[in-house]
Amino acid sequence: MQERIYELMYLADPEVGSEDIEKLNASLKTIVEQQGGTVVRVDDIGLRKLAYEIKRKTKGYYVLFEIQGSGKEIAELERKMRVNDQIIRYLTVRVDEDRKTAEKMRAKRIARQEKRANSKRSEGGPREEIIPFEGALSENL
Amino acid sequence: MEDQDRQFEGSNDRMRGDRGPRRFVRRRQKMMVPEYIDWKDTDYLRRFVPERGKIMPRRISGVSAKDQRRISRAIKRARTMALLPFVGD
Repeated sequence: MQERIYELMYLADPEVGSEDIEKLNASLKTIVEQQGGTVVRVDDIGLRKLAYEIKRKTKGYYVLFEIQGSGKEIAELERKMRVNDQIIRYLTVRVDEDRKTAEKMRAKRIARQEKRANSKRSEGGPREEIIPFEGALSENL
Repeated sequence: MEDQDRQFEGSNDRMRGDRGPRRFVRRRQKMMVPEYIDWKDTDYLRRFVPERGKIMPRRISGVSAKDQRRISRAIKRARTMALLPFVGD
């Protein structure tokens, strides 16, 4: 089966110490590896103001994982994060398909631009004539 | 070619009629949206979230229906992670 790419973000309690965060990240990483996935990237975003209060807290510690795998590890990770009371919230998003379509669209757009540039050149410059707006002519003032 | 012509379309104030004042100026021009909308990119998404915290309707922002769906999905994801507000002030 084709490998999928996920983005996983969790929001930890701001009072959790940095060593606890590191421990947590390490344990999440081992879960991924146990299930046969790989951690592509860990982005420690850090303390950030929340857009709204959660459990009377105005700040939160954000960490982002990028994970490649079959999808089995996600179930395990979510279970783990659900029971961990240091983690206030988490979100997993599958990104490989969206990225692929984005890449396709970008290629299409570039192809279109090139085509346009080529056709313009063969026509011998821009076709439109610039017709000055009457009021803009100084003698009419 | 077509895109260029569209830029020179007249201002929209004239077409408004007598329906009373409108809070936003309606933008008729096509709005370009990146191919990949990142739900973590709050700086970008904020453009589609006015003060009140609501998602801007596409009749105002001028994005295509497809892009509007992608934007709103990204905003909703950002909301669950408290990156964007559900209700603004």
